[in-house]
Amino acid sequence: MRILLALLFAMIAGPAMAQLSTSPGEVMRGAVNNFIRPAMTDFGAKADVLSSAVSQLCTTPSEANLSAVDAAFGDTGTAFGRIEAIRVGPIMDENRAERLLFWPDRKGIALKQVQAILSSKDESATNPATLKDKSVAVQGLTALEFVLYGTGFETLQTADGAFRCRYGSAIAQSVAGVADELVTAWNAEDGIALHLMKPDATFTDFRTPIEAQEELVGILSHGIEAVRDTRLNPFLAKGDVGAKPKLALFWRSGLTVPMIRANVDGLQSLFALSGISGGVPNDKADLPASITAEFSKADAALDLVTDPVDAAVADPAQAQALADVVTATQQLGVLIGEQLSSALGLSVGFSSLDGD
Amino acid sequence: MWQRRAFLKAAGVGFAASLMPQQLMALERNELVFASSVQTKAGGYGAVLMGERGDVITTLALPDRGHDITVSLEAGRGVVFARQPGTFAVVFDPAGKEAPITLTSPEGRHFYGHGVFSPDGRWLYATESDFEAAKGVIGVYDTKAGYQRISEFPTYGTGPHELLLMPDGKTLVIANGGIETHPDYGRTELNLDTMDPSVAFVDRTTGELVGQLRLDAGLHQLSIRHMAVDARSRVWFGCQFRGSASASPQLVGYATMDGEIKLIELPSDTLLDLRNYVGSVAASADGSTIAVSSPEGDLLVAIDAEGKRPVLVETLRNGCGLAPDGTGFVASSGEGELIGIAGSGEARRQFDFSFDNHMLRVG
Repeated sequence: MRILLALLFAMIAGPAMAQLSTSPGEVMRGAVNNFIRPAMTDFGAKADVLSSAVSQLCTTPSEANLSAVDAAFGDTGTAFGRIEAIRVGPIMDENRAERLLFWPDRKGIALKQVQAILSSKDESATNPATLKDKSVAVQGLTALEFVLYGTGFETLQTADGAFRCRYGSAIAQSVAGVADELVTAWNAEDGIALHLMKPDATFTDFRTPIEAQEELVGILSHGIEAVRDTRLNPFLAKGDVGAKPKLALFWRSGLTVPMIRANVDGLQSLFALSGISGGVPNDKADLPASITAEFSKADAALDLVTDPVDAAVADPAQAQALADVVTATQQLGVLIGEQLSSALGLSVGFSSLDGD
Repeated sequence: MWQRRAFLKAAGVGFAASLMPQQLMALERNELVFASSVQTKAGGYGAVLMGERGDVITTLALPDRGHDITVSLEAGRGVVFARQPGTFAVVFDPAGKEAPITLTSPEGRHFYGHGVFSPDGRWLYATESDFEAAKGVIGVYDTKAGYQRISEFPTYGTGPHELLLMPDGKTLVIANGGIETHPDYGRTELNLDTMDPSVAFVDRTTGELVGQLRLDAGLHQLSIRHMAVDARSRVWFGCQFRGSASASPQLVGYATMDGEIKLIELPSDTLLDLRNYVGSVAASADGSTIAVSSPEGDLLVAIDAEGKRPVLVETLRNGCGLAPDGTGFVASSGEGELIGIAGSGEARRQFDFSFDNHMLRVG
């Protein structure tokens, strides 16, 4: 009887479930229209606000205007954090990724170069047009964070910080300019968005819906790997080696954890809003829920990290929560990079997950 | 041509006697022997020695993911290197008589997954990273002294990957991929804006640079990773492009000790099918054909080394490993498939493990 019922259920449910299945094309339209384009636009808008705020601070140095810059910097950083994993299209040209955020910076190149600009009062760094010809490390958010929060930042509230402010303003304009280029490129009718949503044999980058979907799964999988490898592991304690919170991104501005949250949130949103779960075959129907649950674990662990990063790593409960985020990223790496990829029949598998 | 007889001879008279009856049967039924790192379905890592008929002769468990394998019939040993940025290499006795030795890279160094023996089997050379300095080094190991690491010399670049011994027996050719990584940051690529890949020829007896070749400056994001030497001692190489997906530079070329370096022109369709990624390069037994693979594009391409044009294009899902057999190549995949191409008589076979990126013909 149970077998009969099961057969009956399969006959009824089979076609209905098949109709629910989301095609690769629909998934890519979901990814681009529901997440990437709006998130790029949001980043562009936040970067414009930041640029205006820094400009205002330079015109009228004050505690209140510095406070406005502080808020705008946080908004811009986290808006970028949400789209940082989208390493396809315009961000891969003209070193835009590095010009927005030079990170990781293992050798502290940005710090040294920014300090050199500040101490020599290099005027060519105060004009976005000439700043563009300098090292990528001094053009983006890594450099701006030092200008706004590093040693000597308090001069920004007075006329003494005029040069520092003008350099900061050039960086903010540069970031807004690059952000604007991303927004324009992603909103173009015939650019990267079209190539991902309507792949064509004549395109060099994406010729089939499967190739486009491989890119999406690659973004999710490499994005979560990058959170672990560049935002968490470098500063967390391991074995006999203690934590090194000053190796964390944006420790000066207290944005380390908000940036991690923005990265995770962006990936989670991309996963959910693309509708990629709808393309998973019935025999792997539990997989999307497992992925969502693991994202939730990362979120819950991040909720427990309430102190700035240097205090958080010294507190056993918060240090454990950060370790739990690492664990969640490892799980997500397997669930997305191996299981989801395999369930969708994609080539993001064992020997090709990343370069070797 | 190394075949089963040579392999048996090198492995010693005791080898056959040391095998279990099933392994012995497997060896006797096969003319050629291949080796590859693998991942089991349960997620474990290892290396396998297998016959061309698909019989697994012996397996070796590894602590983590392995990459390439090198074997010296003279030393009577094989070595599996950890995938970068791993810190182990396992020296094994193909005959299984001696227990494997696990080498650990010294403080401040990790392996890149490739190595090669000297022709007499005395020295083992491995590509390694001096990661604090972001420079490539070749670690030199003395096989007569328990594989002690006795010295190192530079690769004259960053991010070295495969290295091969030139037919002169003296010169090492090294693919400096140009990409900086550091174990603190996993596999994150730290210098995409300033990459400087090259092919370096280095005298293995002195560590001195014999010659170094670079592609045009506009191709600085074209990471040179894998190589094979053809019948005319030209070093064929395959690249992985780290720039925008909308660009599609040529990915396969050759370099010579006379100082020539050139990318060949693959037809647009074939090039695009490689998806900016060549995962391994092999030369046929007679050195007249070069095969390249792309697990990203599920593609295998055989190239006539004289005519410098493709003679065969074949698809293999997640295919990457390539090794010459008597008449063509065998190719292996991350899906556990093994096939023969370009004149090989191999039938398609399915295994219950995933092959890693490289397949080595042992004998």
